[in-house]
Amino acid sequence: MSGSTASERLQLLVAGYILGNLDPEEAAEFEHLLNDDPAIAEEVNRMQKTLELSYAPPEMEPPAHLRSAILSAHASQSLAPVQASAPIQSVTGKPIRRSFSWSRAINVAAAIAIATLAINNYRLRQALQASQIETQRLATIVYSLQTTSSGNTASATIEVDPNRLEAVLTVQNLPPLTAGKVYALWTVVEQDAPVTKDDKNAILTEVFTVDAQGRFSQAIAVPKVFRSADWVSNVAVTVEDAVAPQEHQGEPVMMTDL
Amino acid sequence: MCCLTPTCVMPYPSGDTEQPSPGQRDDQTDAELYRALQAGWTEALGILYDRHAGLVYSIALRALVSPQEAEDLTQDIFLNLPKSTAYDPRRGSLRTFLAVLTRSRAIDRVRSRSIARSSLERFQASQSTEPCCQSPFEQVFQHEQSQEVQAALAQLPEGDQQILRMVYYDGLSQSEIAEQLNMPLGTVKSKTRRTLLKLRQTLADYVESSHL
Repeated sequence: MSGSTASERLQLLVAGYILGNLDPEEAAEFEHLLNDDPAIAEEVNRMQKTLELSYAPPEMEPPAHLRSAILSAHASQSLAPVQASAPIQSVTGKPIRRSFSWSRAINVAAAIAIATLAINNYRLRQALQASQIETQRLATIVYSLQTTSSGNTASATIEVDPNRLEAVLTVQNLPPLTAGKVYALWTVVEQDAPVTKDDKNAILTEVFTVDAQGRFSQAIAVPKVFRSADWVSNVAVTVEDAVAPQEHQGEPVMMTDL
Repeated sequence: MCCLTPTCVMPYPSGDTEQPSPGQRDDQTDAELYRALQAGWTEALGILYDRHAGLVYSIALRALVSPQEAEDLTQDIFLNLPKSTAYDPRRGSLRTFLAVLTRSRAIDRVRSRSIARSSLERFQASQSTEPCCQSPFEQVFQHEQSQEVQAALAQLPEGDQQILRMVYYDGLSQSEIAEQLNMPLGTVKSKTRRTLLKLRQTLADYVESSHL
């Protein structure tokens, strides 16, 4: 994707990513777009460069010894994370934390900390087990999509696992598209659903093409709204421009009434 | 030391934090390396250091002036990265996170140094009289900007520049900015993005021709 053809919405998502202020729904959408078109990464680089040319100082190489000092210190930490007998030296030669020399005090503190952590760990395990049991209650949901045109026999199923937010999308008899076009799978939600959606109340869920026989089958990620399936009013497929499927210009070619 | 290659942009990894083989290292995104580092793959730190140490060190040096202190801060930033829980690779770039974190830590250190009292007073004085304007550090940065960048920034309304500085220099969250500027949260989000996009469009040719 070159800058000239990028949609403004996509570029605003890129800007949000560079500024670190994407919300979870936008992050999921951006992830889809980036996976579908790795060239978007180039635009991410340019946006990052723009920010740094404008607001960061010119880069300076740190001294060569700093790299080995940091990696050595990190290796020490990784090998002996709880042993304080060999204090990590800062690059200026001073211990990073003076408290490393207070070995007795640290031993006492460590014992208390271990006991506290053991209790916390037990409680967290109980909470986690309860949470997992709760999550596992969500049953698999299967949506069947039928063609909206009488001219073909296209059909699709999407089998959603709400616990893992994954689904298997299987499509049959969908006509192959010309170059530059893709099929887009939309999760259509209720108007008052508390999620980020486009002006057609839809969330772009997957972009795909079919083979010469009109088939497509793949595991895909699905949005969190499937954990509250009552908010999902429809699942639909449209034909979109490959460079900007998020524009949602096409009419449904397959959908299901729930 | 340039990170701005396709290899260091995030495509998000697909959940698992498998350790890459040596031949894959250059293809790993920052997000993948960050997750691998947190999962215990120590070599990831060296790769991330090679990509971003120049940015971190230069920000630290400008703020702290002393090369030794800048080295200490750079070390602190990278050694704490494996333990950091503040960065979410799905929602933002690692470089911006590191830049904001470094500047924030550097200012903390300046504030804690008695020998920097006068600098801090100047910083506070500049803030109290001109709440919209840059700290001395930022003023130094701006002196080194190219004419193209200065011209592009000059085209932006001061309020838009201020919001970008609050994000990138001060590391303020959107809600903190909204509160300080008495502005709706959504407006803050869209303003920051649109301002950066405007810069991107104005500087398109310059960005293409520049090499960090």
